[in-house]
Formats: sequence, structure tokens, C-alpha cells
Amino acid sequence: MDYVFIITFAVTLVLFSLFERVKKFIYLISLQGVLLFGIALVNLLHIYTLELVFILLETIVVKSVVIPLFLMKMMKHNQLKRVHEVHVPVFYSIVITTFLILGSFLLSSYVNIPKLHTRIFAIGFASLLFGIYFIIIHKNIFSHLIGYLIIENGIFLFSVGIGSQMPVLVGLAILLDILIGILIIGIFVNKVKDRFNSIDIAMLSQLKD
Amino acid sequence: MLVYFFILALLCSLSIFFVKRKEVTNILLVLFLIGQTALSYYAYISIDQTDSLFFKFEPIGILFSWVLNLLSYTSVYYSRIYLKQHSNSVRQESIYYGLLILLIAAMTGAYFAENMAILWVCIEATTLFVAGLIYHDRSKIAIEAAWKYLFITSIGVAIAFIGILFLSIVSGESNFTGFNFGNIVLLAKEIDPLVIKIAFVLVLTGFSAKMGVFPLYSAAIDAHTVAPPPVSAFISTTLMNVGFLGIFRVYQIVAQTDAIGWANNVLMLAGILSVFLATIQLLRIKHFKRMFAFSSLEHMGIVCIGIAVGGIGYYAAILHLVFHSLVKAGMFYQIARVNNTFNSYWIKDSGNYMKISPVDSLLVILSLVLITAIPPSGLFVTEFLVFKAMFLNDNIYLAILALFLLTIILFVITRKILHLLFAPQPDDYSVKPSVDSNISLIPVLILFALSVYLVIFPPPVISELIYSAIGLLK
Repeated sequence: MDYVFIITFAVTLVLFSLFERVKKFIYLISLQGVLLFGIALVNLLHIYTLELVFILLETIVVKSVVIPLFLMKMMKHNQLKRVHEVHVPVFYSIVITTFLILGSFLLSSYVNIPKLHTRIFAIGFASLLFGIYFIIIHKNIFSHLIGYLIIENGIFLFSVGIGSQMPVLVGLAILLDILIGILIIGIFVNKVKDRFNSIDIAMLSQLKD
Repeated sequence: MLVYFFILALLCSLSIFFVKRKEVTNILLVLFLIGQTALSYYAYISIDQTDSLFFKFEPIGILFSWVLNLLSYTSVYYSRIYLKQHSNSVRQESIYYGLLILLIAAMTGAYFAENMAILWVCIEATTLFVAGLIYHDRSKIAIEAAWKYLFITSIGVAIAFIGILFLSIVSGESNFTGFNFGNIVLLAKEIDPLVIKIAFVLVLTGFSAKMGVFPLYSAAIDAHTVAPPPVSAFISTTLMNVGFLGIFRVYQIVAQTDAIGWANNVLMLAGILSVFLATIQLLRIKHFKRMFAFSSLEHMGIVCIGIAVGGIGYYAAILHLVFHSLVKAGMFYQIARVNNTFNSYWIKDSGNYMKISPVDSLLVILSLVLITAIPPSGLFVTEFLVFKAMFLNDNIYLAILALFLLTIILFVITRKILHLLFAPQPDDYSVKPSVDSNISLIPVLILFALSVYLVIFPPPVISELIYSAIGLLK
């Protein structure tokens, strides 16, 4: 069952490098939230009600509803429609993304750690690498925030793949931290737009020796 | 006890933020600082005891919390001076103090965190609060610095979280103590060496943004340039101690396994590269605060080297952090006064400070002596111990390289400071009535005096704390 979710997740990564519309990025982030819920649910060893509620809160409520709504609001505030400026042509991006995914699956077959869900670990690793790649090729800071979210989703997959089970209280603290972090990053994106009239990273180059 | 402290911090911060009245702010700041002192004392009398489920009063945390406590008083004092001179809006002030209190509380939490995930949570929280404080000026350059700090550090800390997740492979169980540091140390021998190597590299990379060493040092450097000096003093000292603690915890776990030699090599590389990059950057430095920031990079590099060589190096590295905190914080407070004279942190805008303000100049000379590790500076003793350990451990060539780099750094910093003191007066400088009273020199003087006193007459309690902190290392 989790094959379906993992492959769909890989497809969303490829789509990220294909799309140019900001709105579609946000839909993809929302979709990834739902997929994370599916992956976590299938791989949960013993489902206690409390943990189920927590995972539901983390993935569905936060990752696929609250954050995308916040991103939508930011998109309207900053009047973003398309991301034109990409360093790498789309075609090469798709090829590179495919190789990132293939590479992480190949690499994960060499990693021999007990208790590790290799497939989930591999897709998490691919998501992490792709998030960093996404940040590098984009020139505006809204896309950098999207890249950060992709990295966070990759880390969530890691934690499922490793089978780490933190106490719910700790998990809640981590979730709160990440959520506030994303909100503050988003607020700073708005501030940059208000002061510089642009969210191009080239604007942020005054600080140097 | 710590839970009550966090509630106190939250209440103080929220009421400062919402009430927005100066008298209330003053009272609550004093209340919070007293609470923090009480906590530091309580931590010492209940040493090695678990507190509030996820926390434990460990020796190294206690030592750092004392430093933090001392610097909190001075930072709050200089913040008051700074805000009086620079900002008029009460709203901005209350946000500043609210965030400052939360930052101090988050750093305290990080010092005492026993659960590795909670340690991560506290470190991530410091990032968020510091970003708000860097943005205090509301200028374009402040937005840029805050954005860079927030974004780079968030990604770094996210990478460190993966490292911490790898450690959770061993603890496994979903109970409250499973992921505690003490528990992982006990189980460390069972961890696959590959897993522990991956974890160490990821944690070192991630928390290097906090500690300000190679590879992710750049975020902290930019933050220093813009942040108000009392906040810079925190970023450069206690916050770097937080980053160090994050790395040191995982290092202690690595030290239980065979991967220790490998980890030492990684740390040595990070340390030498930090000193090297600091040297390169200092050669073309034009800005006083950036100069101090790169000097912090150099000192953190020395700390990494000290940990990597081991033996007496462990002791020297932790003591180095303490002395560096005292001296560097004093320097940042002092540079705020220089800025009041010249209205600029650029080196080219300064000069003839010896004539303009002789008393301050003497303090600047003292800070130069202390930060470049010339005796009687405490940093001299710790650096001497680090290099002694390097020579004893057959790292002679690296030691010579590091000493060569340190000589260049000594030359550059001395030259820039002498420019400030004796260069011809800048053309556009007009004599203004001094805004600072000489009373505000006293806390800086106390910090400097302490860094000398502690090395000449070391109180046994500090040595005891450091020795029990490095007790887990062979």
C-alpha cells in the first residue's frame, strides 16, 4: 500500500521542477501533507489513539491545511503568479530530479541499518536533496520557503523511516517550533516584499565586506 | 523547577509585550533576572538531578548558565542605554525586551536539556527569537541580515535534526526517558558506527550555524553586523555556547565508540578551516563588528581544535568558551560606545580616539590585549594549553600552521585597533558632547577583570564543574 504513496510523493517532486505557477506549488505542498499522512498511517506499528490524533494533527491539519492557507495568503499579499526566474532550464531540472530520486533509492539499498524502512528512508532522502536543489535554482525567497517546506517533509519521512517514536509531548513541541518558524519566515518574506518591492534574492546583497 | 522558570519567562515576556509601559517593563525585567539567578543557584545545589522530565542539571550546563546569567545582567543594562539612544517607540522597546527574555529562557533550556529532541527544540527557538532581535532596527539591511540568519540557521538546524533522528534508532522506545542523553550514552556501544558517524556529521554541520564555525558560519557573521550591540554580545557568546553544547553532546556519545578518532579528525578539520577562513576574511576587514565576528570564528575554531586533540584540550576548550564569552561580550558593549562617538562601525570613519576619549581608549587597548590572548588574558592560558596538547599529540605541523594563522590575526586586529586609536581624525568628524557617562564602563571593566582574575586565582568550583563535564570522555 505504501508503494502508491511513495511513488506519488516522488511524482510530486518531479512536478515541483516542472511547474512555474506559484499556486500549483502550494497545491503540491498540500498534497504532500496528505501523502505523508498515508505513509505514516501504513507504517505505524501499533496505533494508539493519542498518536493517531497527533499524526493527524501534524500532517493533515498543519502540513496540508494550515501551511498552504498561510502560503495562499502570502501569495495574495505579494501578488505572486509565476516564478519566471529559474537558473536551470526546466528540462534539465526534471532530468536532475529523476536522477536524485534514482540515486537515493540506489544509495539506500547499500545502507544496512536494522529497523530501517529502506523505501521511506530513500524517498525522504530524495526529498531532502530535492529541497536543497529547489532552493539553489530559484531566485526568489518565496520559492526558498517552499524549498524549506520540502526539506521539512523529507525530515518527516526520515523520522517515519527510522521508526522513531518520540513522546507525544516532545513531538508537539517540535511541531510547534517548526510551525512558528515557518510563520516567521513567511512574515519576513512579506517584510522583504514591502521594503524592497521585490522578493528577488539579488535584492538582499548589501551585507558584505 | 525549570517549568516554573519557563512559565515565569513567558508571563514576563507576554506582559511586557502587551502592557507596553516602561515601569512595568523595568519591574518585570528585574523579576526575570532574579528568577534566572535563583535558577542558576538552584541548578548548582541540585547538580546531576533530573528536572521537569526532559531536563537535567549537568555540570557543563550549570557553568554556561552562570556565564549566561552574568551576561544577561550586563546585556539588559546596555540594552537600556542602547534603546534610550536609538529608539523612541514604546512598542519597539517592548518587543525587544519580550524577545530578549524569551531568548534567555530558550538558551537556559538548551543548556539543561537532557532529552536530545528538547535540546533541538530549544536551539530552534533561540533562532526564531534572535531573528526578531536582529530585525530591531527595521532597516533594509536589518531585514536582509534577519532573513539570512533565519533561513540559513533554520536549514542548518533542520539538518541537525536528521542527525538527532539517527541517534533515536538506538533508543527506540516511546517512553519519556528513552531519548535522554544519559540513556543514549549507555547504549552508545551498540550503535552501528556508520549510523553514529552520519549523526555526528549532520549535527556538526547543522549546529555549526549556531556555534559559528565552518561550514555554516556566514549567517552569524551577517547577524553581528546589524544586530544591536547587546544582542551581538549574546549571538557571539552564549548562543555560540549553545551551539557548542549541541555538538559536544553528540561528541560525548561518539566518544563511547570506536568512531572517536574519525570524529576528532572531522572536528580538527572544521577547527583549522575556521581559523584559516577567519584569517583570510580578517585581512580585508573594513567593519569593526565584522572584525569581532570573525574573531569569534577564530576562537570557536580553537575550541574545535581543543576538543579534537583531547586530553588537556577538553579542559582548555571549555574554559576557552567561558573566557571568550566574558571578553567578547565586553568588546561588543564597548564598540557601541565607539559608535556613539563616530556614528559608524566602519574602520575608515574612525580615528584619533585616544585624544577624543582617553578613558574609553584605555579600555579598547585592554580589550585588544585580552582578545588576542596576550598575557594576562585568560585566553592566553587556554590557547597555550590547546597548543601544548597539540604538540604532545604529534599534531606539530597543524599546530605550527594554526600558530602562524593566529599571528596574522594578531597583526590584523592590532593594526585596526591602532587605526581607531591613533589614525588622523576623520575629516567629517565634528566634536559632539559625549552621550555616555563613564559609569557605563564599569560592567565592561568587571567582565574584563573577571576574565583575568579567573585565570590567576581559579576558583576550584569551575575546575570541578569542567572536570565532571568531561568525565565521560576518556
